[in-house]
Amino acid sequence: MPYHEFECSKCIPERKQHAVDKGPGEQLTDALPLGYLNTIPGTISERGCAYCGAKHVIGTPMKDVLHMSHGPVGCTYDTWQTKRYISDNENFQLKYTFATDVKEKHIVFGAEKMLKQNIVEAFKAFPHINRMTIYQTCATALIGDDIDAIAEEVMLEMPDKKVFVCNSPGFAGPSQSGGHHKINHQWINKMIGTAKPEIYSKYVINYVGEYNIQGDQEIMKDYFHRMGIQILSTFTGNGSFDDLRSMNHAQLNVLECARSAEYICDELRVRYGIPRMDIDGFGFEALSDSLLKIGYFFGIEDKAQQIIDEETARWKPELDWYAARLQGVRMCLWPGGSKLWHWAHMLKKEMGINVVSVYTKFGHQGDMEKGISRCEEGTLAIDDPNELETVEAMLALKPDLIMTGKRPGEVAKKIRIPYLNVHGYHNGPYKGYEGWVRLARDIYNCVYSPIHQLALIDISKDEISTDKGFETQQTYSDTALTDEIKNSGVLRKSTSKFDPIPALQKKAEEGKYLFPDPKTGELRTVPYEKLKKNKVVDVE
Amino acid sequence: MDIKKANEKMKQLEWYITKHCLWQYNSRGWDREIQNERILTKTKQLLCGEKAIEDNTTADRYYWSEAMTLSGAFKRYFSWVEKTSNEDIAQIMLLLKEQMDFTMIKGSLNQELTKQQY
Repeated sequence: MPYHEFECSKCIPERKQHAVDKGPGEQLTDALPLGYLNTIPGTISERGCAYCGAKHVIGTPMKDVLHMSHGPVGCTYDTWQTKRYISDNENFQLKYTFATDVKEKHIVFGAEKMLKQNIVEAFKAFPHINRMTIYQTCATALIGDDIDAIAEEVMLEMPDKKVFVCNSPGFAGPSQSGGHHKINHQWINKMIGTAKPEIYSKYVINYVGEYNIQGDQEIMKDYFHRMGIQILSTFTGNGSFDDLRSMNHAQLNVLECARSAEYICDELRVRYGIPRMDIDGFGFEALSDSLLKIGYFFGIEDKAQQIIDEETARWKPELDWYAARLQGVRMCLWPGGSKLWHWAHMLKKEMGINVVSVYTKFGHQGDMEKGISRCEEGTLAIDDPNELETVEAMLALKPDLIMTGKRPGEVAKKIRIPYLNVHGYHNGPYKGYEGWVRLARDIYNCVYSPIHQLALIDISKDEISTDKGFETQQTYSDTALTDEIKNSGVLRKSTSKFDPIPALQKKAEEGKYLFPDPKTGELRTVPYEKLKKNKVVDVE
Repeated sequence: MDIKKANEKMKQLEWYITKHCLWQYNSRGWDREIQNERILTKTKQLLCGEKAIEDNTTADRYYWSEAMTLSGAFKRYFSWVEKTSNEDIAQIMLLLKEQMDFTMIKGSLNQELTKQQY
């Protein structure tokens, strides 16, 4: 695999080892981009910082917590839940964010006193929330504020409150990934083992590396509950602070985003003997294999197979409607860390999409190993690209769409390339069978939207045709299709509702799930409140 | 089975694993050694109709679950698997283990594999 040198980065020779073209017959042992290194001077990176990785990605999806940044207010604004990490408690963590608003005088005279005032005020303003996380920032790390001591002081004065301090200032790592690492370790060191949960099923898992983007977690939770599995905690989407303190009581850690959360699984395996099982929640085949694997672990593979059969029968005709129209579409798959490898092979196999480039902003070499293995020959793989490199790649590869985050997405739009947001999602959830259909639908709408044809017209000089009628996506997508496909009575467009989550929550409220009693095996329903948040007691 | 033919078949199985599985990508070399050893051994045992469960630990149960899924996929993807003798399967799986150890550990360019902590 030859390294790929960008024209625009010839003046930064170190960049050459951060990109490769996957050649025919070549292996990971021939070339692998460097990764998780400090951004090279002279290149403008799109990365976030270690504070952002700890707070924005992992800390703040926790739903029943006051999330406070100890630092300038700008740090908090930039991590204020611009991803749609929704929750089943009216999105408390999306609505409210807290900052101590550190100013120059605090840098000079210290900010501990002011921090304590802020903590107490926040708890008093929201008396129904008894948990808090405090995030260190660059400024308060440099002045040496002892946040742990302040948190201890508050907990002594307010004994029903619990405070977790995350020490991951922005400079503490090459990218947001440094923050993932730190908060994983700090959570297991400080919090896990401090609560004991009520176990109501024979089968108990932690669902790790899942952030409930537009309801991803709710979709998967439905499958697990249909198998009778108790979800002790979700790390951390729609997750409860106290549930996450009791992670050591699970029988299995089911891991999705290994990039952000493998550390806690590895430590739980070493310290508590809980196995780590990596799964894919995206793509019919990959998801089916994953459910079956979990089924084997608990000896309930028949239940997994039943879900696979039901869901495939329900959603496959809709996936295939889009797959017939997406064959040969060229895509740059440029997410943050894990989706390049969760998606690359399934996009090709189940939608016929050619992934012509994968990139990762903050991934490690392990993510590139997975991503390169799962994409096809000819793919350009890039680590931590700068903006000029992404523009050069888009102009050279001429993709039909980019799947990425909002910052590079806006750049793509400026050069008239359609973009789909795969960080916060356009119209997710994208997980599960239904979610995969929703992704196919969004890709289809993105690629074939008539707006992209209109965007190519310069009304200041181009002639506007007056002999054309109204155009739709299908005007473009169906031109090369056979009549058999066009008129198929089996294939159909997505029938997924605008928001599929309320129906799943209603199902849980109505007690549609049965869980086998851990001792007797007798099947029982469990109150909705316990499905949302386990009952735990403190362990001192 | 002659070595060339065995290698051809081994390459097909390697392709499946690198494309579809995630268990071989743990971030440290020592973990990868254990994953390759336990899962591929159990997969071979399952394909050869041997006992693949060692004890009642959750760790053993995990490796067995991965092996069950993998052996099922091998049969689904490659029709020759079920028509191949146990002796030849053992030979192919041995080659596969050596290849996976090389690609994922000994020949890997991943600089994080040798880090001492997670």
